[in-house]
Amino acid sequence: MSEKTREKPGIRSRIVPIVLILLAVALIGASIGGYALQGTQESIDNLDQMRSQAVLHAASEGLINNIAQQARADKLAELRKDKDFRKRGLDEVNAICDGAMNEARAEAEKLYANPVVQDEAALQSAISAFEKALAESSGLSQTERAAYAELYVQLVDNISDWKAVAGEGIQDANVISALGNVAPDLLKTENSHLHDGFVKLARDMAVKQQAKEDAEQQNQLLTVLATAIPDWNEYAGLEKDALWDKLIQEAPELAGGEKFQDALLKAASEHIAAAEKGETIAPPAESEAGADTVSETQADYKYFTPTEALNREETEKNAAYEELNAQLVAIIPDLGSLSSKLQNTLRENIEKVLWLENNSFSARYNTYVAHQATTDSAGAWKMNLASLAKPLLLAGVAVLLLGLVVLFWKPLTERFGVPRTIIALFFVYLCLLAELYNISVRMMMGNVLERMTMYGVLVLAMMPGIQCGIGLNMGMTIGCISGLLGIVLALQFNMVGFPALVFACVSGAVVSLPLGWAYSKLLNRMKGNEMTISTYVGFSFVSLMCIGWMMLPFNNPKIIWLLSGKGLRVTHSLLGSFAHLLDNFLAFKVFGIKVPTGGLLFLGLCCLGVWLFSRSRLGIAMTAAGSNPRFAEASGINVNKMRTVGTVLSTVIAAVGIVIYSQAFGYAQLYTAPRQLGFIASSAILIGGATVSKAKVSHVLIGVFLFEGVLVFGQQIANSVVAGGGLSEVMRIMISNGIILYALTQSGGGRRA
Amino acid sequence: MREQNQVKAHLEKYIVTYLFIALSVLFIVTSGMDINYVASQLLLRLNRNAFIVLALIIPIIAGMGINFAITIGAMAAQIGLLLTINWGVTGVAGILLAAAITLPLGAFFGFLIGKLLNKMKGQETIGSLILGYFANGAYQLLFLFIFGSIIPLNSNVTIVGASGVQNTLNLTGSVGLYTAIDGIAHIPFLLAMYIFCGALALASIIQFARKKITVKRMIGSLIVAAVIAGVFSVPQIAAYVNGAHGRELKLPLVTWLLILGLCLFNSTIMRTRLGQKFRAVGQNQTVANASGINVDRTRVIAIMISTVLAGWGQILFMQSEGIGTFQTYAAHEQVGLYAGAAILVGGASIDRATNLQALVGTFLFHSLFITAQSAASAMFGNSAVGEYFRAFLSYGVIAVALIMYAWRSAKQKKAGQMNLNEQRSAKS
Repeated sequence: MSEKTREKPGIRSRIVPIVLILLAVALIGASIGGYALQGTQESIDNLDQMRSQAVLHAASEGLINNIAQQARADKLAELRKDKDFRKRGLDEVNAICDGAMNEARAEAEKLYANPVVQDEAALQSAISAFEKALAESSGLSQTERAAYAELYVQLVDNISDWKAVAGEGIQDANVISALGNVAPDLLKTENSHLHDGFVKLARDMAVKQQAKEDAEQQNQLLTVLATAIPDWNEYAGLEKDALWDKLIQEAPELAGGEKFQDALLKAASEHIAAAEKGETIAPPAESEAGADTVSETQADYKYFTPTEALNREETEKNAAYEELNAQLVAIIPDLGSLSSKLQNTLRENIEKVLWLENNSFSARYNTYVAHQATTDSAGAWKMNLASLAKPLLLAGVAVLLLGLVVLFWKPLTERFGVPRTIIALFFVYLCLLAELYNISVRMMMGNVLERMTMYGVLVLAMMPGIQCGIGLNMGMTIGCISGLLGIVLALQFNMVGFPALVFACVSGAVVSLPLGWAYSKLLNRMKGNEMTISTYVGFSFVSLMCIGWMMLPFNNPKIIWLLSGKGLRVTHSLLGSFAHLLDNFLAFKVFGIKVPTGGLLFLGLCCLGVWLFSRSRLGIAMTAAGSNPRFAEASGINVNKMRTVGTVLSTVIAAVGIVIYSQAFGYAQLYTAPRQLGFIASSAILIGGATVSKAKVSHVLIGVFLFEGVLVFGQQIANSVVAGGGLSEVMRIMISNGIILYALTQSGGGRRA
Repeated sequence: MREQNQVKAHLEKYIVTYLFIALSVLFIVTSGMDINYVASQLLLRLNRNAFIVLALIIPIIAGMGINFAITIGAMAAQIGLLLTINWGVTGVAGILLAAAITLPLGAFFGFLIGKLLNKMKGQETIGSLILGYFANGAYQLLFLFIFGSIIPLNSNVTIVGASGVQNTLNLTGSVGLYTAIDGIAHIPFLLAMYIFCGALALASIIQFARKKITVKRMIGSLIVAAVIAGVFSVPQIAAYVNGAHGRELKLPLVTWLLILGLCLFNSTIMRTRLGQKFRAVGQNQTVANASGINVDRTRVIAIMISTVLAGWGQILFMQSEGIGTFQTYAAHEQVGLYAGAAILVGGASIDRATNLQALVGTFLFHSLFITAQSAASAMFGNSAVGEYFRAFLSYGVIAVALIMYAWRSAKQKKAGQMNLNEQRSAKS
């Protein structure tokens, strides 16, 4: 837009939005037409007819495929008998077999592809009956499985010591009540049928845990064995028992390991054999894999038991299928001669046609079309339009929004800023796309809510930094590391529950105070270059602490590398200490979304605290010092002191933020993991509408909602559009860094000291 | 008194360099690594990295700080290399083709970078860093989703059964790009040193005869040349490089001609009108603008040159001895960090840098890089510490250099203000 058009907003500058809006009206109109067509009797009849065709096609195709495969196999067997078989190349054999298969297929298609239906009505009603039974049982099965999966995830995510729950000698009833402590819903009467399955799960998990502990202990003892004995030659030639006694004498730690006597003695004899040859065997290597994989828990349906009602539905469904099958056999007699395995495949295919998770008009239409069903050419456009009603509507809304945004570009961007407008529009588009791909927007909103509580406090940490004038505090990683230190301390002392959470927060905050103070002193001497310097100071501190995590004298075997005996592990599961503690506090469900009440309350409290602070005398002075240092200095405010206050506050909030983040995530990650947190928090607050010199609490909340919303929706949609993932990560990188770049360009060049 | 001040100023300026020299010596001793091995590794890393580090000089002189966006130049080079591999061009021709593709791509990207950095004057260092991250996203988009689907590629470079380029591409064997430049010719390291000393002595005499330098500087250069030649003439020292203790050190001739060529380019361009503009813009944009220089345009040109050079440097890096594979999604990531750290170690700062600083810095930085792991495991009994120590060194050195620079300029500003105040009070 040039200067001239901006002065005279004539019709010409409005052509684009007007065209867009007209297009949107056309699209929405077409969509309304489509929806209207969906309701007409003609369409419903057409669709039912297509359904019969699709079912028949699924049946006949199964038969044809079977015949073709059989022909191929026969040809291959025939070739194998031939003497020259080995002389033929693989390609040649394949070509011959494929030729035979295609021939058979063509013949079978002539026979079966267009079955003649005698009694259309009977077929229709059989299909309808089966469809109804299928929908009922599948729906019930889905709800039951979902309930089971939820309980499963709840249990597996929140129980760390399965041996205490279901160790040997614990009665089934006690196991159930222990499980019920973790997942209260399990004790409800409607879930009683699942008890046996979950007891089995608990027992299996306990056995698995025991095996894992045994393996770890055995490894440890093997290391002791390899390091404690200086000269193996002394042990040569000893009998089993004598050897064991002598080993225990030399290395008393082994005394507890009677369980592993065989393995240890075997290792000892290997050591002796090596020593005779003048060699030594190195102690076993540290295994990092297994213990440190972080992934979302998926329910294992091995322990699922259906209810009585579901079993009844299943029987009804089977009866309905028998009916339908009889009809089909009447039409294509050869179907009756199929093997039972093929019968099953056939049934699966028919079920796939008839049971659609999303039972809308267009989904049904598309499925039937995919199974070669057609309508007569006169009515075809109507059916097409009807099936396209939803995409047309979504496209219409999208174009309408775009038109409106273009039309009101100036007032919108003046009010909300360019990035917030664009990202918000993008977010709405993602919601529309999710609707188009039938991804549950509700479920994803639940995810967004969860991630808001996860990142909220971290993003809030950016605010005092911006207000006091140091800009985006990339060095908030200093606070994050203090918080992680607090968490590790809580783990070191084996603390659990709310005391652990509070202790981690408080000790993290205490550690971050002097660090933040020193850091602020540094930044006070670097006015104008804060962002560059804080980035690199943050990076350096992260790498310095990588060495620190290795060298600090922690000694709780739960958190250090077991074999080398020093250095903290990379990932610490907070299960059993305070994972999800805040999020589960007072949590309730609304429309199937879990509301992490505790986390939201805490975020709200933090926001309120920061808001009250910025309203206080000190907070006002700090904001003044940040927004106009010269003026503040002139009016008697100590600018450096105010900057220190803001920086320390930001660092302390970051320390608390990482504790909250870790409890929501369920894991605390050390070493290089916190490096990028400053960038994530910065981009979130910038998306919310903050600039490098101005920030409000609303910016934090809007920003974290939009940022996480775009990420959650983007990830789901990217996964369903492009297989293999990766696209959402690319999107995250580009949005997050793009927004920071934009903020930098807006900060202007004048900030150089 | 004045002399003391000079020494103090010199120390202040080069404190990072001296710290690194001390650390290098300490590390080489504690790591207990074979000197011959360290020297050969160091030489290898110099061959690989010197060109990229030298590419940082022009933007520094033009006042744009450390151009961390050279990663984008590296990406341009990697696009060039990918296409070269895809088309199956081998040997020197392949490298030339990749370089030819890098030239327009790098210049275009450099143009965009320059335009963007002009909008964030004073924040170029952080801006270029984040721009590098942003470009990494675009690069992944290109290599994962556009190459192989929208832009068709041969199946030997794409992932089978999905879109996108393979994680690692081989440069050896039939691809024929491995050591395509390094392998053309080698000369023994000792001979190279003697030639270098001779050239240094000759050049200083000629420059003196043309009255370009003072007699003091000529004698200084002659002494330096004599000392270097002398040191390598001592049989015990020469033994470490001529193969008496292990491997004989050799220089890849063409690579070094290219590196020296770039040094020459860097110093010649400063004598041209364009170079004068770089210098003027770097010293003071307002003054430069007042004297009729198009500041923004000059800055864009500086970044364009730097980006293309970095791309060529990345090609030299990829073909060099001991690399052999092209890590499609990681090869460019640390380019800016390591090059930036290296030039700062050499004593450069945010607003001044020379060829010598770049070369010395690369030398020192990589001498620590090679020995850090063994030294750390010797000192702390834990080799993982060494890995983290390397990262700490890279980031820490940049942080310290940035802090020192900001400190100095704050001090100067204060001193300037105090002078101004004194003048004012004297006037009144």
